[in-house]
Amino acid sequence: MKKVDITLLGTTCLLVIIGLLAIYSSASSQYLFRQLIFLPVGITGLLIACFTPRRLIYGMAEIFYGLTLLLLVLVLIFGSGPGAHRWFAIGTFNFQPSELAKISTVIILAKYLSYRRKMDFDFRTLAGPTAIVLPVVTLILLEPDLSTSISFLPMYAAMLYWQGLRPLYILLLFMPVLSFIAGFSLYFWIPFFSILSIIVFLRLRFFRALAAIATGSFFGLLSPVFLSLLKDYQRARIKSFFAPWLDPHGIGWNIIQSQIAIGSGRLFGKGYLNGSQKRLGFLPNRHTDFIFSCIAEEFGLIGSVVLLIIFGLLIYRLLLIAYRTRDQNGALITVGFAAIIGYHVFVNIGMLLGILPVTGITLPLISYGGSSLAATMTMIGFALNVAMNSE
Amino acid sequence: MKDRLKRLCFILITLLLILGARLIQLQIIQGKRYARLSDRNRIRKIVLPAPRGRIFDRNGILLADTRPTWTVAIIPTETNDSALALLSILLNRPQNELLRRLQPVSEVPAPIDILRNASFDVIAKIEENNFRLPGVLVRVDHIRNYPFRNLYSHVIGYVGEITEEELSRDSSYRLLDYIGKTGIEARYERFLRGRDGYKYVEVDARGREIGPLPEKRPEPYIPGKDIYLTIDHNLQQAAYDLISKYERAAVVAIAINTGEILCLVSYPDFDPNIFLAPLNPSQWNTLISNKSKPFYNRAISSAYPPGSTFKPLVALLALEKQLITPHAQLLPCNGTFQYGNRKFKCWSAHGRLNIIGAIEQSCNVFFYQLGTKIRVDTLAEFCHQFGLGKNTGIDIPGENAGNIPDRDFLNRRYGKNQWTQGFMLNYCIGQGEVLVTALQLTQLYSCFANGGFYFRPYLVAKIESAGQIILINKPQRFEVKINQTNLDWIKNALTRVVEYGTGQAAQLQEITIAGKTGTAQNPPNPDHAWFVGYAPADNPEIAIAVIIENAGHGGTVAAPIVGELVRYYFTKRTLP
Repeated sequence: MKKVDITLLGTTCLLVIIGLLAIYSSASSQYLFRQLIFLPVGITGLLIACFTPRRLIYGMAEIFYGLTLLLLVLVLIFGSGPGAHRWFAIGTFNFQPSELAKISTVIILAKYLSYRRKMDFDFRTLAGPTAIVLPVVTLILLEPDLSTSISFLPMYAAMLYWQGLRPLYILLLFMPVLSFIAGFSLYFWIPFFSILSIIVFLRLRFFRALAAIATGSFFGLLSPVFLSLLKDYQRARIKSFFAPWLDPHGIGWNIIQSQIAIGSGRLFGKGYLNGSQKRLGFLPNRHTDFIFSCIAEEFGLIGSVVLLIIFGLLIYRLLLIAYRTRDQNGALITVGFAAIIGYHVFVNIGMLLGILPVTGITLPLISYGGSSLAATMTMIGFALNVAMNSE
Repeated sequence: MKDRLKRLCFILITLLLILGARLIQLQIIQGKRYARLSDRNRIRKIVLPAPRGRIFDRNGILLADTRPTWTVAIIPTETNDSALALLSILLNRPQNELLRRLQPVSEVPAPIDILRNASFDVIAKIEENNFRLPGVLVRVDHIRNYPFRNLYSHVIGYVGEITEEELSRDSSYRLLDYIGKTGIEARYERFLRGRDGYKYVEVDARGREIGPLPEKRPEPYIPGKDIYLTIDHNLQQAAYDLISKYERAAVVAIAINTGEILCLVSYPDFDPNIFLAPLNPSQWNTLISNKSKPFYNRAISSAYPPGSTFKPLVALLALEKQLITPHAQLLPCNGTFQYGNRKFKCWSAHGRLNIIGAIEQSCNVFFYQLGTKIRVDTLAEFCHQFGLGKNTGIDIPGENAGNIPDRDFLNRRYGKNQWTQGFMLNYCIGQGEVLVTALQLTQLYSCFANGGFYFRPYLVAKIESAGQIILINKPQRFEVKINQTNLDWIKNALTRVVEYGTGQAAQLQEITIAGKTGTAQNPPNPDHAWFVGYAPADNPEIAIAVIIENAGHGGTVAAPIVGELVRYYFTKRTLP
């Protein structure tokens, strides 16, 4: 049975069109043209992922992964970016290896996990996949690109869950990292850790629970140390989230401007091309990270909710494809992709709404930027491939 | 499998609902307010300027504070070209200079300062044309104020507008900020400077403040710290009155048992207040073209030959090295001393003298004879022990270390071994290439007075922040290893100088002063007059050095000034 998943393809096209319109409104026709140049790259990625036999893709998982590691190392040496080594500058275009890393890590992880029948919380089950994820995350962390490296965690968690690992174990596996992140602020860490301790003591035997708590608190204590090693702008971002008033002229200001833009859109919005905030240049990165503010300002609550629903539909569709297929390897890959896209949507919009820290994360398919567009469209293309050959 | 899909969808829907709920909160519940905020130039960042720390004398007399003034500022996002054109006429500044100031437009609509310490005239004109000047603000500001004008120009120094170069060194400053340029203002800049605060206010379409912005907590300013000097204002004023009669002079007095500087005056001087307003060129040219260099701190930056004030140190060395005994008399002085084929002059024919008499009468011939016996490095090393030839470490910039010639110096100056012991003859009477500052001599005599130790001289007693002491300068003691009996001979001689010798002009009825006159040769110009002393002679508290440039003999010009200052200090001083 060969049938294109119309819903997935439709939502994707819709989002891309919304993105192009938003880029034009928020920045200029110049950026629109550049994005239009990227679009064929994305479409090519989609088509290749869609029509390449999946066996071939699985077979090349290790090669992709090795190539990714190589590029991530090279970008640390030759890469450029604002105070970081994030991308290769090719002419006037930039290529971000971390976008490629998302795809290739998911593919090799899925290949490895799909062999496993029984998922337990033991070394044999978890050491292998963790060893796959860890170097990629570390290399991206070194660029440094904190938010992209964190995006690997929900992806990894979703894939483990899909393969059958109990949520409690996933929680245990991620506890060091979660505790570390929560440890940036005592006010977050204390409630987080209290709840975690209760869960662990209820569900695990005493000594195991004790060991888990000890590990967690160790990593929680590590974060103040780490905070002192961070780059200034990263520390500013983290601090600005936990205490926005401490940062009077920096990043907290952007978030207030973003909230004013979103809030002033009210129910129906100011109408396309009528947003005032972005026209006055209050918003930095208004065509990349902050693009949702422009959409929310011009299309109001109704437009924003419609956009959220389209994203919801797209992610649901990916999960549904994973559920329907018999190809466990393909299913795992699709779930991983769904998690990555979901993470981007939630973190990007959450940041602009002032409920999550400011991170340099884009809105998939909407934000200006070639690497992100191409990577996301390739993910969709693969999902279409799985959907087309479900039997 | 089915429940996994369900659970993941549940998570997805939950997250989307969180975003949706927040959207409703922002766009519907608070939508009206945000719409108002986005309506027109809604938020403004207001700088709350921090006043600079005050400076007091040791008794709490105010020497520097701040006074209110006006600053003209522009909000780049609210102004327009015609307003800038008009403003450039009102301020008499080229329009492109104003534009350049506004260049780095921040995302935050914050006023950018254009002119600080604006005159009432300018402010009045701006207020008159208020309606034609959108985005132009006048705000109340603080500016440095030196109530005693010239009196402390060399101690406190002055503040001025930050230069591009200073700005590039420290990014925490902004254009038009004032920064300490010299003296206490420069050295203690980081204490005196406060930290500006900020507040965010909502303004209406006509630029009037509606109220604070709840999303941004204001950041209050932190005022600069207050500095208490060791200076005694009354003594400073007295010293100033005494030396400002002369063309170029300096005086330093220190409390010998702490190193606190009680007064430090250098004349001529300048009014530090003039650097706060845009300097008018004629004022500046007069200051710059003044041959007496009013910016030059003669008490610490100017090194002179010590002249005869150097002799007691040489005498002490001779006693220490047992080149002579206190009672021994050398060859009689008949006005000249023949060494090799050169004749060295004395200012009188003193006859036979012992070491006490030689100091008392300031006889050169006696010291020429010591000069034939002292090796250059021995003397140089001895001088270093007393802090000569190196910075005293006073806490204001610009100190001169002076010069104490040693073997290396002479080899460099005259060529290796191209100099003879004859050099030492002039060295021992403090002439030629030996150079000291008034501050170093004060330190040297305080060491005599203390009986073999001295303290690093300093100007800042303590620093306070909101009544809390945050820093107290502790005296820093330096020991010199000398025989007390030998030193007592020297101290005895210094007392006799004022009682019977060359320094009689310093004599007081009520207090015994010990000291030494000096005349620094300054060919081809007239000699400089020195007097250095301490008082009371038997239980010393204060050491004073006075230099009057090109005024002739120390005994006639400089000595009476020290006498007057000591009298003032012990009879009229305000008690702490």
